Amino acid sequence: MLFNSYAFIFLFLPIVLLGTFALGRLGHLVPVIWLALASLAFYGFGNWQFVPLLLASVAFNYAIGYLLIERKLQPSARRAALIAGVGGDLVILGIFKYAGFFAANLDAVFGTSLTVNILLPVGISFYTFTQIAFLVDAFSGNVARYALPHYALFVTYFPHLIAGPILHHRDMIPQFERAEIKRPNAHLILCGTIIFAIGLFKKTCLADGIQPLVSLAFGASAPLSFDHAWIGALAYTFQLYFDFSGYSDMAIGISLMFGVFLPLNFNSPYKAQSIVDFWRRWHMTLSKFLRDYLYIPLGGNRRGRVPRYVNLMVTMLLGGLWHGAAWTFVAWGALHGIYLCINHAWNHLVPAPPPRFALAAKLAAGTLTFVAVVVAWVFFRADSFASALTVLSGMANPATVILGRDEVANILLIAVYAAIVWFAPNTQTLMRYDHERRMVGAGEIELRPFPLYAAAAVLACGILGIQQHSEFIYFRF
Amino acid sequence: MSIPARNLLRLLGASAVLLWLAAALNFAVDPLQLFRPSRLFQPMYSNDVRLQNAGLIQSQDFDTVFMGTSLGIHYRQSDIDRALGGHSVKLTMQGSSSREQAFVLEETLRQRHPKRIVWEMDDFIFCDAPEIDADIYLPAGLYRRDAKGIAGYLFSGTMARESAWMLLRAIPHLRPAVDRLAKFSISDVDDINVLARDTDIAALYNANNAFASFVRITDPARAAYLGEGYGYESEVQNFERDVAALIARYPDVQFDIYFPPYSILQWVAMRDASPATLKIVYELTGHVARRLTRFSNVRLFDFRAIAEITHDLGNYSDVIHHSPDVDLKVLSMLARGEYPVDRAAPTASLDQLKAQAAAYRVER
Repeated sequence: MLFNSYAFIFLFLPIVLLGTFALGRLGHLVPVIWLALASLAFYGFGNWQFVPLLLASVAFNYAIGYLLIERKLQPSARRAALIAGVGGDLVILGIFKYAGFFAANLDAVFGTSLTVNILLPVGISFYTFTQIAFLVDAFSGNVARYALPHYALFVTYFPHLIAGPILHHRDMIPQFERAEIKRPNAHLILCGTIIFAIGLFKKTCLADGIQPLVSLAFGASAPLSFDHAWIGALAYTFQLYFDFSGYSDMAIGISLMFGVFLPLNFNSPYKAQSIVDFWRRWHMTLSKFLRDYLYIPLGGNRRGRVPRYVNLMVTMLLGGLWHGAAWTFVAWGALHGIYLCINHAWNHLVPAPPPRFALAAKLAAGTLTFVAVVVAWVFFRADSFASALTVLSGMANPATVILGRDEVANILLIAVYAAIVWFAPNTQTLMRYDHERRMVGAGEIELRPFPLYAAAAVLACGILGIQQHSEFIYFRF
Repeated sequence: MSIPARNLLRLLGASAVLLWLAAALNFAVDPLQLFRPSRLFQPMYSNDVRLQNAGLIQSQDFDTVFMGTSLGIHYRQSDIDRALGGHSVKLTMQGSSSREQAFVLEETLRQRHPKRIVWEMDDFIFCDAPEIDADIYLPAGLYRRDAKGIAGYLFSGTMARESAWMLLRAIPHLRPAVDRLAKFSISDVDDINVLARDTDIAALYNANNAFASFVRITDPARAAYLGEGYGYESEVQNFERDVAALIARYPDVQFDIYFPPYSILQWVAMRDASPATLKIVYELTGHVARRLTRFSNVRLFDFRAIAEITHDLGNYSDVIHHSPDVDLKVLSMLARGEYPVDRAAPTASLDQLKAQAAAYRVER
């Protein structure tokens, strides 16, 4: 089920909200079970064939977690349990996500004529990573015992299940155990509705609105003109941001209506002053996961500069592959790995500019970062290397500019989007959303009519913008 | 009631009011002319034919329907009327499947009872296509006029934007500015999806373009696409479900069906790069010809083997799409009843085509 659908907004969400609060009178556990069942229904709508896999994954990881947390196992047995748990998760992910890719590469190299076509279960990358983190923490002794319903809800919780944010058990399960989830809180529902409205507007009006421009570059036949290539690449840059951050806003808003604070996933990433800064602002929950469960266990920056760069490259290559089973994603990850290495080397070797050049340096750094990110997105979006190189060739060849009336109109539209991402405040700033302190909103929203009616207009525009069928880009990862 | 609760109600109430205002605007202006022909406002049409056709069916006066794919997309209704008589509506849809075409025709026949269907029929429309209600490009509810379709239309931001343009355009002082800004608006139904009058026809339709397309689709790296979706059994089933059954349900309607004149390069491409696909196409269209010639309310024409058109590559922009000149020739041939498929020998023209395709030598 899509957040940007009439069925979700006018049927599913109100029913689940009312059900949760009505069942809250029956005790602590009933609304948790209700929410977990509702989450399965949400997932099963259109993906019913993958519900058993999701349930099996939850049961498997809970059982391994039980062994690690409850049973007094010998260290070697604990290690074996962890390897079995993480290995099992990765095998399942590998079969469903990477078997076709692996077979295609074998065929390309050895001419095996082997093809594997397996449907990708929606959200498998997200719920697998969520549970790997749980197992690793359980192994390290950082997890208290959780009841099965709370654990099941943590994994399946519908606001995040399909495309994140990637949740952490220590953040979520204690919230599910609190009494707030069982009682309606008008302030949280109001703020949640507004955040949801902003996310819906980002998706249906901004991301879907610029989508037609993307096809000017991607999918067009070669050679591409300079302006079409840039318009297409920039359009995708903004489409992806508004699509995914819109989804994340909607997830945060929906969860807030239930009294549960989800972590932030975006913090104006295109305002980043460096690639390091970009990764602190883009898909923040994935960055944190990769840092805590891959980069640091690999050694992080503790063993000197060269191992650090190797660790960065490995982390980013695997991060690229996590997004999809294709060499274009690996190339995207590799590019960002190289960017990060250069960024760290620069920070190490080049002194900070003198204060009188600080503004110019900041502008140059911001521009360079943005252009580097746009170039990398070309690989992320392209169906093949050939397609990516076609777009990049167009972007690098100013001699082929067209700049007719349509192109000027498209550039103006791109400029509007650029102004929004560079100069407008982001959702958490507007809403004073503080995940750490579990706080949201301020007095103005309750007192002043203008923000309230502006939010109403945003919600109405978001609903009016719903198209017949418009999936989120990150659903495929 | 607490302040946040009151504000929540205000927020939801104000959103609901705005949604209903948009719906009221859409109903009053009715940009697709779904409820009534446009009288208060000058009509505006869209090239998004899968959406626009739902309105054309309701708003236009017609006794003839012209159906097909991109092969029939550039025809002018006025040319069809001049050549064939009567009053036509063009409902051709780029890349449409037989399922989509049959659905649109069925709704048109059911709601407006036209006398004649002129059907440009390609072999590739019978490849498998999604169910109509799973077809994300065709708003089936708008054609059926069911509650979901009408609600989707009234509560659509895109439609509200179009309505606002039309409303502004109705103000004489604003009209020039609106016409400049709404550059894609079409005010004459005859202009939907036709080539712009200043189109350089010679630059678009010439032997170089046709041959470049031939080279592209026969490239070994791409040749597999030639046969994508083809399967004799499934295509015959789709033909029976979408065409034969529809014709049988409307015995009082005249169906004038024709196989369009692709360039000879289309057949040669399949011959050289995907012979299995060519075999399927031959067998399928043979079956179609045999079945259609059994219906008394069908006249079938086969323009595929008219060498003076199909061998002149200057008529084409790629291996199948022909120029507006050929559009007019097709209409003229339909009007004069030329190249009919003989009921006694329904595959004779197919045999001619096979011979031409086998004999043709490409000069590289």
